[in-house]
Amino acid sequence: MPTFNEFVSTLKIDLLDFAKENLEEYKDELLKDGTLFIEKTKSDLERWTEGLATGALSTTDFEFLLKGKKDLAQMEALKQLGLSKIRITKITNGIIDVVVGSAVKTFL
Amino acid sequence: MIIKSRLTKIISALVFSLTIWSCSSISVFSPEAYKQAVDLKVESLELMSFATSPYDDNEESVTYLKTELRKAYEFALGRPNNELSTEQWEILINEEGNLLGGFLKRWEAEGTLSEMFVTEMQTLVSDAFDTIIGLESGKIDPSELK
Repeated sequence: MPTFNEFVSTLKIDLLDFAKENLEEYKDELLKDGTLFIEKTKSDLERWTEGLATGALSTTDFEFLLKGKKDLAQMEALKQLGLSKIRITKITNGIIDVVVGSAVKTFL
Repeated sequence: MIIKSRLTKIISALVFSLTIWSCSSISVFSPEAYKQAVDLKVESLELMSFATSPYDDNEESVTYLKTELRKAYEFALGRPNNELSTEQWEILINEEGNLLGGFLKRWEAEGTLSEMFVTEMQTLVSDAFDTIIGLESGKIDPSELK
């Protein structure tokens, strides 16, 4: 008859494998999104500064665009926060599967 | 036997708590919300391209778009656990802000807007819609929770 300790040991190993797999994937996604946003902001600023210098953009236009970029950053942050929550929900659902799977492996 | 019974109770409680918690943290995917955002993105960018011409010539279209945007916001507001998407819509359509709402207000106030400003704002507004669409499409399909 398997003991509770055996179940805990199995569960620990299964959870560790699960966490490694999911967190690594999430870290990569976050880094990719963050880097893309910074690169885009840099090229936008270069273009807008040039537009300001040539007169294609007024000072009001330039300020409006900068503030718009700030609003966009807020929306992006909300998206990332939401996706994190979704990821946690998926991980939670995965944990449920791992717990049940470990229990089945140990006791049945 | 006692251990097994206790264990079953612990696992059941854990699974129950995790299930309840995971279901209440954020809204599930809504095909209607997704379509609304995609359609409004296309319509908004199209209308923005006319902002180099007089506002008065486009007033009717702007009024119509504003109504549709308001409907999308109200739809987001009415969905349970949907605070993040609602906040995104708020930022996008806020007339005091610097995305679509602010752009339309400025167009109305100034009559016409410069070509480069319009083009650059279209990119920002397009990216802004993409954050809404990206969050919605990332949500869990209700069928996955069954």
